[in-house]
Amino acid sequence: MSGFPLQHPAQASGLDSRTISRAKLGDIDAFTAIVEAYHTRCIRFARAMLRNPDDAEDMVQETFVRLYRALARYEERQRFEAWLFQILGNCCRTANTAFQRHSSRTTNDEEAYERVPSIDDPAAQFDHEWSEAVRRALAEVPEYNREIFLLHYIEGFSYEEVERMTGIKQSALKMRVKRASDMLRTRLSEGHR
Amino acid sequence: MSDAERDPVLRRALDELRKLPPADVGAMRRVVNAAAAARVTPFDSDPGILTPRRGRSVRVWMVVGIAAASAFVGFALRGAWTSRSHAASTTAASGAPSTAPSIVRTAASTELDAAPVQQPFVFNNSRAHKVFVVGDFNRWDPTATPMTRSSDGELWSTVIPVVPGRHMYAFMVDDSLFTLDPNAPKTRDPDLGAEGSIIIVGRP
Repeated sequence: MSGFPLQHPAQASGLDSRTISRAKLGDIDAFTAIVEAYHTRCIRFARAMLRNPDDAEDMVQETFVRLYRALARYEERQRFEAWLFQILGNCCRTANTAFQRHSSRTTNDEEAYERVPSIDDPAAQFDHEWSEAVRRALAEVPEYNREIFLLHYIEGFSYEEVERMTGIKQSALKMRVKRASDMLRTRLSEGHR
Repeated sequence: MSDAERDPVLRRALDELRKLPPADVGAMRRVVNAAAAARVTPFDSDPGILTPRRGRSVRVWMVVGIAAASAFVGFALRGAWTSRSHAASTTAASGAPSTAPSIVRTAASTELDAAPVQQPFVFNNSRAHKVFVVGDFNRWDPTATPMTRSSDGELWSTVIPVVPGRHMYAFMVDDSLFTLDPNAPKTRDPDLGAEGSIIIVGRP
């Protein structure tokens, strides 16, 4: 499987190394700049990863707190955002395990639809339905494939970077991304053709 | 051209998933406040600052602490205490059995176990201009624990209170170089992925 052209190749944050160095020394303004640069991407990733997307904000906050505490250990030979998403991925996996363990309540489709506000504009309604369909289809992709899929296709990390982040060999990563892509395509084709 | 690129359904799905949520300034502010609140120096009054990771070594030291406290309390009360524990057999061998109630033994050992001990850290680097020790005992604060240079300029050292148990640490050289202790075993932080040196702090 050849590489899909990344429309947002690692989405450069515009942060310079001095900002990160200052944050490592405890400069809260520099840390604020880091949060501002990455918060929305982290929320997007967490919502796609978590069994309970409503926990995304809490999980992203937990990630940044861990990152701030561990900044002194950040080794600059590793790309900063790769390190950030490594921590975020760990947090999301831990949260999913806890959610599965402690929640016996499941949301059925009727309940999910009840939360969706009614939309009068047909075009907007179509976009909204598509958006919901994509999220439902993605939620069906197994977590271990979904995370790699998101890191590569959505967050723009190369396979080399994901290998360094996860310790999984590139051949296995490509297989996981292919399986996630196939499943997503199949689910969406069933409902929207 | 990849399969994903050729497939219009998947391409639309990727476009949808790449949409960023609106920036939430309030949430960002909460993140910064939470991080700032979580970062304190080791000498602040927060009693949790000296709490080590709970691991096998900590449990070992808890057992040692319980044994030592039990022996001490048993000796002080001069009672008749019989137990299968290592502490009890040691006490019995010394001829000072105890009848101390278990709750007394537990309280004494807990206090003993939680009390920090003075732990020296030494680092050899003649070229550094300043060195700080960072670790879980000071929440990896790179400005909390400066080290003092020896008169010959070779060694950096400091002595700080650390709770007995297993700790990860490293040295921060010249504000930016995170350096492991070459004389200590190292391990990888299971959560963050970064490596750190390991020290088992025990009672003298």
